[in-house]
This record gives sequence, structure tokens and C-alpha cells, in this order.
Amino acid sequence: MMNQSGILSEGARRVWRHQRVLWWFFAVNLILASFGTVPVSSAVGRVADHSLYSQRLSEGFDLSAFFDLAGNPEVALQSKFPGSLLFALVFFVFALFLAGGILETYRGDRKLTTAEFFQACGGFLWRWVRLLIFLLIVLVPITTVGSGITAWSETLSSDAAQEKLGFWVDVVGLLLVALLLMSVRLWFDMAQVHAVAEDERSMLRATARAFRLTLGNFGSLFWVYLRISLLGWVGLATAILIWTRIPAQRVGLSFLVLESALLWWIGTRLWQRASETVWYERQWLTPVMMTAVSAPEVLPPPAPAASSEGAIS
Amino acid sequence: MSRCTPVLLLSAAVIFITYTCCEAHAQATPATEPGTSAAPKPLSERVVDYQIDARVDARKKTIDATETLTYRNLTGQPQDTFPFHLYLNAFQPQSTFMREVRRNHPNFDWHGENYASAEIKSFEAAGGDLTSQIHFIAPDDGNADDRTVFQVKLARPVAPGESVQFKITFHDQLGEVFARTGYKRNFIMGAQWFPKVGVWWQGGWNCHQFHAGTEFFADLGTFDVRLTLPQEEIAGASGEEVSSVNHTDGTKTVTFHGEDIHDFAWTAEPEFRVFTDSFTGSAGMVKIRLLTQPGHVNMAERNIRILKETMKRFDRWYGPYPYKQITLVDPPHGGLRASGMEYPTLITGLTFWWMPKGWYLLEEAVSHEFGHQYWYGMVATNEFEDAWLDEGINNYAEMKVMDDIYGKDRSDTDFLGMTNGERSYQHRGYVGAADKDPIARFGYQYMNSASYGDITYNKTAMMLLTLEKIIGEDTLRRALRAYFMRYRFKHPAKEDFLKTLEEVSGQTLRWYFDQAVYGTQVLDYEILQSGSDRVDWVEQNPPEKEKSETLYRTTVLVHRKGDFIFPVDVLVKFDNGEQVREHWDGRDRWVRYSYDKRARLVSAEIDPEHAVWLDKDFYNNSYVAKPVSGARRKLSAYWLVFTQLLAQWLTWLV
Repeated sequence: MMNQSGILSEGARRVWRHQRVLWWFFAVNLILASFGTVPVSSAVGRVADHSLYSQRLSEGFDLSAFFDLAGNPEVALQSKFPGSLLFALVFFVFALFLAGGILETYRGDRKLTTAEFFQACGGFLWRWVRLLIFLLIVLVPITTVGSGITAWSETLSSDAAQEKLGFWVDVVGLLLVALLLMSVRLWFDMAQVHAVAEDERSMLRATARAFRLTLGNFGSLFWVYLRISLLGWVGLATAILIWTRIPAQRVGLSFLVLESALLWWIGTRLWQRASETVWYERQWLTPVMMTAVSAPEVLPPPAPAASSEGAIS
Repeated sequence: MSRCTPVLLLSAAVIFITYTCCEAHAQATPATEPGTSAAPKPLSERVVDYQIDARVDARKKTIDATETLTYRNLTGQPQDTFPFHLYLNAFQPQSTFMREVRRNHPNFDWHGENYASAEIKSFEAAGGDLTSQIHFIAPDDGNADDRTVFQVKLARPVAPGESVQFKITFHDQLGEVFARTGYKRNFIMGAQWFPKVGVWWQGGWNCHQFHAGTEFFADLGTFDVRLTLPQEEIAGASGEEVSSVNHTDGTKTVTFHGEDIHDFAWTAEPEFRVFTDSFTGSAGMVKIRLLTQPGHVNMAERNIRILKETMKRFDRWYGPYPYKQITLVDPPHGGLRASGMEYPTLITGLTFWWMPKGWYLLEEAVSHEFGHQYWYGMVATNEFEDAWLDEGINNYAEMKVMDDIYGKDRSDTDFLGMTNGERSYQHRGYVGAADKDPIARFGYQYMNSASYGDITYNKTAMMLLTLEKIIGEDTLRRALRAYFMRYRFKHPAKEDFLKTLEEVSGQTLRWYFDQAVYGTQVLDYEILQSGSDRVDWVEQNPPEKEKSETLYRTTVLVHRKGDFIFPVDVLVKFDNGEQVREHWDGRDRWVRYSYDKRARLVSAEIDPEHAVWLDKDFYNNSYVAKPVSGARRKLSAYWLVFTQLLAQWLTWLV
């Protein structure tokens, strides 16, 4: 049994050591979201900047003042959503592109040159697109189950004799769906780690191989992911709790708290990826390297790590 | 909020001390002869006397009943034709009610379990069997499939001052609650369940069909209702329970008596938890009976507290509550369509097990429905034709109660840093339909149900709140009290109310009522343009001067955007601390104020006291010369974080 805390701490160490990835990820997220926010800011400013009534929002958060503003034809907040969604999608593509470089960084645990990093990004992009399609296919039945649970819980909330039954069915059901989604994410993360480590070009093979790996070591892997996820959620909840206690006028401080929460959130996701990379290395790559050191006269089989490095060099 | 805290704590302590524990079963009170316990002189004319003996099949959700109605002809003329309501028949696919529901909500689908019916088995009057004479009429829309009003013609007319007795046997099939009445699992809400005679009003019979957007209208009188139902049922009803007798077949007969009321509703459910309390007002002690759900026991204190707080204020502001009991019913989950409804001396609240303390929906519902004991129950207005006289006045009164308890900026929501005053909440509703319908319109003639709600409830409340600016809050309260005391146990119409307002205020308010009550004019004023400019602007290189020496010309252009003419104040502030208050009658489309001062404009604000609640848009009521970016920065920050989160959640797929 592998030392789980060792994996977590090593994963965290790699995220910390390569925190440039985290900051870039965060910064691009922030910049793209800012682009999506500009139309909102200018529209709100047109109506609110010269109105005394807007003090109800700056000195507190008056819901009617907010909805009056959101519904004002000059603001029409709802109509700004597609713009933000567009920038969120741009970030999604960016993240898809970056994933190869990030995993390559964590795998080697060394500082890649910019060229190496982006070579890895480009080298894996289309593989990730194919993998994404597989993931979406797998998600269809899960989201169907999720919708079914929600519909069932709504019926129970209305018709069951026990008033809270529907609520608890919803909570438990959605928790199960969330765990299922985490398992699926674990599986596809493994496929990515495997693809990077082995320079696997067939995503079908990578998915199948990752499925066997994940299933065979589900307990330990899931435990790694679960703990990091819980830390992510606890961090987010703590930030929200702090945010609700910040005086309404302290916009800058509340923004900082929320950004910190986002940074933590991104960090925990990268931590999961780094930890899974560590796990993969220890499970599959270390024995090979030890054999190579103790018996130099025997030629080792082609090291997957070496081949993948070759692929992006 | 802080000024309310001692009151809240004191109230909580009183409730804690006086709270009587949950009763396991309904307690039978000593039997008294109907009519002997009330005031010696009837409070109303008592046009009707209903005696109903009903057997409830709690499993089949049916009622078989015999109704004996004695009608006193106080119409001043012989009457031989009598219309009756059969409201339950509205819950049938081709009824006018359902047609209107479908019209208002095109995606609405009919569900068989909502089917309900009331069937007349026999109808006798003045000793003659008139069952075959019954025919359904549709005075409002001619819908031949609507069976919510029937009419009978007697063999001979009833002379003025005489009485006629109707003996009706009927069978009700309740449906799963769709609107106000029906069942949900074991819960039964017996409302609009018996044949009810129309009202002779303004020189004719007033007996409208049941519409999707309307409520009810009936004559005041006495009710003696005997409900026979399974012994495990816990029942509550209008009036007071006078006896409960168990039978050997597992049923019991609970008898209720109500006086000077115009409707009778009842409820039954084996799971009810019963809480009792009392309130002592200017008319003596009132028993409070709360029938709540097992899962809502933790909300009982909130329900009773707000009920007592509301009763206290209504008693003080408008007049006494003369009945001996008020029953508050908490419908179960899934049966919320029976929630938030008023019947004489019985109301239904709105409770969810998870309601956070700073979200006052529960309190608003109870406060509102109790208010209807005054505006509907006692001041028995015609809800078909003048719905605003009960819903609108009551919305205003409820808002004043909530504001008085929780503060006007937090009386709707005070939760997680978010606040909302009930007046703001209602204003939002009004804005959504500001120009769609006038307040004075028959309930079923509104554009749609949304307009009915927004205008009848919210615009009326805003109209009254704005009226405070014209006649003063205290005067309006006195006017409402006068209206209540004068018209309680009567059927006033809109002009009775409006004339009372004019009479008490001593002002001619027709100009206001014509626009706000009878018209659809929209009230919206804006600061269209304002700013300060150097008087010596033409000088290319003006001489250096001290700040206080430079002369500025400040102009403020006020524009009336809407058609509603209303006098407003404009407050102009300058950067030397000087303030100028202007008064504009609003008759022209715009007015420009100009000032030459050694100071620059800081702000210009229409209605600085924020008292004109009919104004549609509060954002354009002011102009601040130096931008205040707090709101923009805050909303932008939240939107930014929201977009970041959205992006992060999407990248979960990567």
C-alpha cells in the first residue's frame, strides 16, 4: 500500500514548486473574466454612477435596488450573460490547451522552458479534445441520473408523507452524483497522466488503460481526490463565510477574499492533478528506474517517461 | 432595527411564558347554545343564516351535506329569483376558471386529480321542490360549460322584510388542491364548498362566476355547521367550536358556530399539531389556535408571534377585532396552493421547515391574511369587482405592520447581508405592470393574472403609500380607521373608500384618484440634465480666483417622463453646504432651475424624502455631479467573480 500522505504532500510540493502554473492559470482566468465584466461595469455605471439611489447597493445590498438596476433597460444585466459565457468558454479552451504542459511540468518535476511547455501544450491538445468527447459521452448517463434524482425529489417533496424526504433524497442523490463525477474525473485525469507519461496517442487505449488502473486502485486514488476536494470546498465555504461578514462598503476587501477563494479552488484542482501524477510515477515508473540503477548491465525496457519527453522535445 | 430589539425580546419572553404546549388532540369545549355567547346586538344585518350538516368521507374526499339557508329579504323589493355560487365546479376543464388559467399560462396542463365538483341533489324553497328548476347561468362570459353559478325561480316572490328558507342537499367531490380548496394527502381544506347565495348589491344580484383571478363576495350572517368526520381528524373552522361528540362508528361530529361572518371554511388533518395562545385587544380576549404540521413545530413560535404583533397593531390603528377566536392553519408540503388565504376568523399561512429567520415570507403571509379579517372579513367588499379594496388596502396595512416590527428597509429580507423592505418588494411588483390596468377594474377583466396581482395588490399599496405624502401618514391612518369603523359589516364600494379619504383628510383628492385609481398613467420623473458652469466661461484665460470667489451657473432640468402629474420637491445641494429646495407642480413636461452661486452643484434630487412610491424608476430621480462608483465597483466585482467561477466550473471538463 502506497503512502497516501506522501502522495498528497508530494503533489502539494509540486504545485508549490511550479506555482507559476497556478498564477498563470489564475491570472488568465481573471483577465478573461474582466473582459466579460467590462460591458456590465459600463452599463451599471451609466445608471448608477450619478444616482443617489445606488447608495443602497454601495452601502449595503438592497435586493430591490439590485433588481431595479438589473432590470433597467440601460443595464439589462441578463443580456450580459452571453458575453461572460463567451469568455468563460475561451478560458475553457485555454485550459484545454494548457493541460498538456501542466501535466508535463508535474511529471518531470522540473522547470520546463517556455518552448518545452508550449510544445507539450500543443502536442497534446487534439488528444485532449478526443478525450473530452469520450468524457462527454460518459457524462450523459450521469447527468440523466442527476436529473432523474432531482425530478424524483421534487415529486417526493410534494407528495411524500415525510416532508423532508424529498430534500434528503436530493441531498444524498446529488452527493452520490458528485462522487460519481469525481470518480469519472479521476478516471479521465488518469487517462491524461497516462497519455503524457506513455506518450499514448490513442485516447481510446488511454481511456481503457486508465479505467483499469483507476478501478484497480480506486480506494487509494479516490481517497486522494476526495480529501483534496473537501479541502477545496472547505476553503470556498470559509471564504464565503468571511465574505458575508465583511462590511458592505469594503468592496476591495471582499473582492480579495473571493479571489483568494478562487485561487485556492484552482490550486486544489492542480493539486489533484499533481498528486495523481505522483501516484502514477510511483506505481509504474519508479521500479523501472530502480532496476536501471541496480543492474546497469541489463538494458531496461524503453522508459515511458523518456519516450514522452522525446515526443515533445 | 435596533429600536425594535427590546420589543422583540419582550415579545419573545411573553410568548415563552404564555405559550401553552402542543395539544395532542383537539379539545372539546363546553357546549353553548349558538348565538348566546356573542354580543347581544348583532354586529351585522345578518342577511343569511346557514345551518349545514355535513358528513366528510376523509378517504374519498367527499362531502355529503344538507344546508338550510334562511335568507332575509332586505333588498327593499320582492324577490323571486335567487342566484347561488357553486365554486367547486370551477375545477373542471371547461370552466371559465380553467379557461382563464390556460389563457394566462399557455403551458398549463390539466391534471385529473384536480377535478372537483359540487352537485345539488335536491333543492327546496318555501316548501316546494325546485330541484328541476335549477339552471346554470354564466353572467360574465356566457360560457355554457361553466357551472359555478346556478339560479332558481321561486313559485312566489319573497316580500321585502320577509324570509325564505332554502333546503339544499348536495354532494361535493374535492380535488387535489389547485387553488385554495381541496386536499393534499390527509389534509383537507374545505373552502367554497357549499352552495352560497349571491348578494343583492347596488340594485341587483351580484353573483359572478368563479374566475381564475377573482375571489369572493357574500352576505354576512350566522353559520352553524356540524361536521361529521373520522375521530382521528383534528378539525378547525371559521367561528368557534361549540361541541365535539364521538360516535360509536369511529366518527365524531364537531359543531362550529360563527356570527357576523360571510363565509365558512374548515380544515381537517390527523397530523395537525395544535398550539393555542391568546391576544387581548380592545374588544376583549381572542383565542389563537394554530394548526400546524408536525415538521413545522419549530416555526410555531414565529407564526404565533407575528399573528399577535399584527393583531396588536390592527387593534391600535384601525379598530377592534370583535370575534372570540382566530384560527391559523398551516397547510402541508405539496398543499401550498391552499396557503396564504383568508376566510372569516380562519386564515392559512405559509411555512416551510427550512425558512431562515431573516426571510420574512412566513410573517408576511400571516400578517397579510390576518389583515383580511378587517379588509374583506368585516369590511366585506366585493372581491370580484373591487379586489383592490381588500387586497390592496391590506397589502398596505400589512406593509405598515412589517415595517413597524422589522424596519422599513428590512421588513421583507434581512439575510446574509442582503436586505429588502417590503415596500421595495411591492414596488418591484407594481413596476412590472404599471401601465397595464387601472386599479379600479373588475378582477377578471385585467390583462392577465400577473397584472391583476401587480396592480390590485402592489399598485394599490404604492398608491396609498404615496398618498401619505399628500395627506400625511397619521391622517391616512385615521382615514383607514374611519373607513373601517364606518363600513365594517357592510359592503362598501370604491367611492365609499375614496370619499372617506377625502372627508378625513379634508382635501380634494380627485386629481390623484383619477390618475392613480381610475387611470393607467405612469409616474416617472427624472433629472434630465444638470451641472455647473463658470459664469465667465467665455473668458479664455480667466483670472485666478479663490475657490469661493468663482461664480458658477448651475442648472437643473427636471423632466416628467410619464403622464402622471404629481407635485414634487427637488433638493439641490452645492459644494459650499448650501441647499435649495424647489417645489414643482409637475404640470408642464419639464422645468429648469438655474442658480448663480459661488459654489458648484453637488447633487440634485427629486423627492428627497423618497415618499413618491408610485414613481416607476428611482435611479433617475437624482444626479450626483461627482460620480459615486461604489455600486458599480461592487456589482462589477461580483460579476467578475461569477464569470471566473463559471469558467472554473467549465474547466472541470478538461
